Amino acid sequence: METFYNSKPVLHLLLLPCLLLYSSIAFNSSSVEAAMHTNNWAVLVCTSRFWFNYRHMANTLSLYRTVKRLGIPDERIILMLADDMACNTRNKYPAQVFNNENHRLNLYGDNVEVDYRGYEVTVENFLRVLTGRHETAVPRSKRLLSDEGSHILLYMTGHGGDEFLKFQDSEELQSHDLADAVKQMKEKHRFKELLIMVDTCQAATLFNQLQSPGVLAIGSSMKGENSYSHHLDSDVGVSVVDRFTYYTLAFFERLNIYDNASLSSLFSSYNPSWLMSTAYYRKDLYQRRLEEVPVTTFFGSVMETIHTDAAYKALSRRNSGRFEAQTSLDQSVHHSERRTPIKVNDRDETHNINPEGNKQVLQGEGGATKCPWSTFCNKFQKAENVDSLVNYGLVAMIPFLVISTWLVR
Amino acid sequence: MAETKVKSHNDDKPKPRVRPIVRLGIFLVSHSFLVSVVCCTSGVLALFLLPVLAKNTYISENALMPGSASPMLSNQHVLDGNRLVKDLTNSNLKSSETGIGSHKIIAQYMLDLGAEVSFHKFHPQMNQFHPLHFFSSPDSGKIQENYSCSSYGINTVGIIRAPRGDGKEAIVLVTPYNALKSGFGEALSLGIAYSVFSLLTQVTWLAKDIIWLVADSQFGEYAAVAAWLREYQTPKFSSSSTLNAEMCPDINNLFEIKVHSVAGSKFSNSFRRAGTMAAALVLKVRDQSEQFEDTISIYAEASNGQMPNLDLINVVNYLAVHRQGLRVNVEKLRSLLNSSWLKSLGEFFESLAKVAKRLNPKCKFGIPATEYVEGTATLASSLYYQALGVPTGPHGAFRDYQVDAITLEISPKFSLDKVWRNDILLRGGRLIEGVIRSVNNLLEKFHQSFFLYLLTSPSKFVSVGVYMIAFALLIAPLPMVAASLYVDANSSSNCSKGDSSTPPAITDADEHGITIRSWRWLNSAKLVFIVHLWGAIVSLLPYFICQIPDCSPTTSFVIWVLLSILSLLILNTVLASPLACVKASQVKEWALVKSVTISSVFIGLGLMSVINFATAEFGALLLVPMCLLAQPLKLDVRAGTLRSFCRIICNLVLGHIAFPPAAFFLLKGMLDGFGSANVGDFWMWVESLWAWNSATYLFIGMVQLPCWVLCVSILFHSC
Repeated sequence: METFYNSKPVLHLLLLPCLLLYSSIAFNSSSVEAAMHTNNWAVLVCTSRFWFNYRHMANTLSLYRTVKRLGIPDERIILMLADDMACNTRNKYPAQVFNNENHRLNLYGDNVEVDYRGYEVTVENFLRVLTGRHETAVPRSKRLLSDEGSHILLYMTGHGGDEFLKFQDSEELQSHDLADAVKQMKEKHRFKELLIMVDTCQAATLFNQLQSPGVLAIGSSMKGENSYSHHLDSDVGVSVVDRFTYYTLAFFERLNIYDNASLSSLFSSYNPSWLMSTAYYRKDLYQRRLEEVPVTTFFGSVMETIHTDAAYKALSRRNSGRFEAQTSLDQSVHHSERRTPIKVNDRDETHNINPEGNKQVLQGEGGATKCPWSTFCNKFQKAENVDSLVNYGLVAMIPFLVISTWLVR
Repeated sequence: MAETKVKSHNDDKPKPRVRPIVRLGIFLVSHSFLVSVVCCTSGVLALFLLPVLAKNTYISENALMPGSASPMLSNQHVLDGNRLVKDLTNSNLKSSETGIGSHKIIAQYMLDLGAEVSFHKFHPQMNQFHPLHFFSSPDSGKIQENYSCSSYGINTVGIIRAPRGDGKEAIVLVTPYNALKSGFGEALSLGIAYSVFSLLTQVTWLAKDIIWLVADSQFGEYAAVAAWLREYQTPKFSSSSTLNAEMCPDINNLFEIKVHSVAGSKFSNSFRRAGTMAAALVLKVRDQSEQFEDTISIYAEASNGQMPNLDLINVVNYLAVHRQGLRVNVEKLRSLLNSSWLKSLGEFFESLAKVAKRLNPKCKFGIPATEYVEGTATLASSLYYQALGVPTGPHGAFRDYQVDAITLEISPKFSLDKVWRNDILLRGGRLIEGVIRSVNNLLEKFHQSFFLYLLTSPSKFVSVGVYMIAFALLIAPLPMVAASLYVDANSSSNCSKGDSSTPPAITDADEHGITIRSWRWLNSAKLVFIVHLWGAIVSLLPYFICQIPDCSPTTSFVIWVLLSILSLLILNTVLASPLACVKASQVKEWALVKSVTISSVFIGLGLMSVINFATAEFGALLLVPMCLLAQPLKLDVRAGTLRSFCRIICNLVLGHIAFPPAAFFLLKGMLDGFGSANVGDFWMWVESLWAWNSATYLFIGMVQLPCWVLCVSILFHSC
């Protein structure tokens, strides 16, 4: 709703002062939820160097492959790898990275786009990516160009401890730094929902300082616990994957882009006896019920598309109320049994997100609005499009103009 | 005691508040006798407790990851190795008198694998005493002109370049080989090294270059390795060596054949290098052995008690025990294994641990008695070889260049069976492969684990933080006793005067006397300085003595002793002549001399403990009781009590034991039996010490000998 007002400041000038007053009230009281889910981003970070940390790179690359398979395009994935295991001289299989000793899947195939590599992976760069404070020379492909409707997956793996994560064997990211960066992101409207997934020792402690709403966090281990590697590849001579990531991947391998497994099913799939640590998730900052949120909210790029008449209509978003929401998947029509839960989800999203029009009416009917101007506003907002609004405004100005000129004379 | 007297004397005045640390110091100094007895006993006891306090070793460096990769050495490589062993033994049977044939065979085998091969010709360097070369890095060596063509050795060097590596680092594998009279063990060690080498030419995971050095051991294993290392690390920019080579037809012949036989350009006449050495392994196979199982012995001690990083030993131990099922051995003092007193001590500790466990179940203290005896025997040998300061194998040459190296000696259980030979080739080869792969994973030099430690078994160690306690306890009484003696000597004369004169009226003359008396220790310091100067002269004398041609060890030793006595007399007459008049005037002169001696010994032991702990520990065990007990015999005889009688006995015994040659002969007699002892042996031992630049030699010459002389002079002091 406030986007409506914000995006059109010209309108304010034309409207009555009372409208200005109302808009400021509305701005303060509204929440970000009003933003629609626009896109999905993933920031995947491997923070540790050296050959014996092979598994961290394999973790990150596995997750990269998974989110890519589930529909997040390369341009929306920021991949940070602190070292190059594939071309390490100790690698028995040059230019290949495996996350399983069966070597069936080469994670470092043709189509891997690493945005930050080697010594570029620093705490500073990581925080710059999150907060979007880059130097002007940094290309767009290395920036997190999310907006207030973005769902962001932030995956980090490396060596950590109580409230810190080690970067590059030389610096640390502290839980305060992370919380601060997330808060800045929130202030700058850089995300709608954020899932932070961390696979490191004592990962849970990294979330202690988080305060920003819309953040969901999951870590591989509680305070005082270690996160262990899953298995050793005796051919390559190193451990190739961590337990937490291994079972995360095992969960996603069963899914494809159309599935609707919920986040809670992912979280409940972690068996402490398999992990040898207790997976911890923090959901008190997250408003939606985990049972109703499909994993593809973060790990894929499934969202509703909005059909417009004209390809280049300037203000199409505002008019979305006129058009029916559709999922991006045309095929979903054929999979009716899968379609139903999506519909449930759709309704949910519509309820929360849909910026104006019907939803506003619904709220009005609910009797939630106490403002005396609300009826006027509702009427006002029923105006079909901006042109007519402007026209009405101009017409309303005419009497004033006439009266004022008459008075002056 | 004197302090309390002074205090009571000044009681009427308001005393300024003394700080607690000063009060503690005064308390310790005034009870120095009790403190020294307690400290020395606990120091010796702590030394015997060390095997109990030993911790299990662990691999400290994450990057090593030993055994995480499955061995790739297959039977094919073993067959290759076997082929080389056969060829070498056959060529030995044909017995070319120079041994060039076997060099050619080895080089040919290396070339066939695609390695870079070169020969390194060297002349063995004579062991010479360079007084200023202690602690200095080895130089490139003098090039002597008049070597004959017969007295040279040829090292064969093969280098595999890491296919994707940066060529900055290398791992060295050394197999000593005497082409003239090689045993089967040497050929077998070459076979093991070759099988590993042939595997490493095929693998893709090398990050460091591999150097295989076949060291020509006809002049000793150490000399060959040291010569090659000298050439590797400090290149000579002169053409004399190559000229020299061309004069000898044998070597020319060798080079020509090589160049003809191999079409490729891999063979080179010049010296080949790879990067800095990350680690070095010396591999040997013992010819005869009476072991019941395959055993691998680790030798780690390098010159001056330097040890390689503990991680290297850990890796070898872990792979040998847990992967290849070999038994790992470190050197033990065999004579201690059967000693009954050690066994009973172990049993005592064991029962003590049981009591402790009953009191506190969490207490993890104590080991079985048999383990204690073995641990003590290992610890004693570890201390002995470190104290000697002479490397226990060719790996010592690497330590001089700060390269971590150990010698592995495989002793197979029975011999000459074909199946057995393949088995030992396979297991030995896989062990070497595993160690190389583990070191290959290393990112930096070995730095994570300990460099200062003593082994009590292959998987147990005592770190510097623990064993220093024993040493510190042993030498802690020295400064206290020195201070107490000084205070005593000063105040006794003070008091005698103070009692006679009235306290408030201190005249100027008296004050003057006090200042003179408080500087009296300078006389004693001069004496101690002179004796130490003499010690330095004595340790330099062998440099001149060994210039005398055709001198048997016995005559050299006698000359040395005579010159030493002569120099002491000369020094005494020239520099210490005022001593006599001082001696006459002062009553407690000997106490001051003892005080200064003890201080100098304390400084000497403290310095030595930094350079070579083991030497300092042995030195402290001898010197500390001698210094503390030393008292003029006349006084004790005059006293005539039981206590003084005991002291006379102790002084006489210690005075004999602490004399360096006497200590040497006693130790030698204990180890080898007294029958074979010879006066010249000491000279030979000293010669070996300075040949290895051992700091133990300096310690004996400049700390122990002067201290002994001073103590003896105190014993025979006329008061």
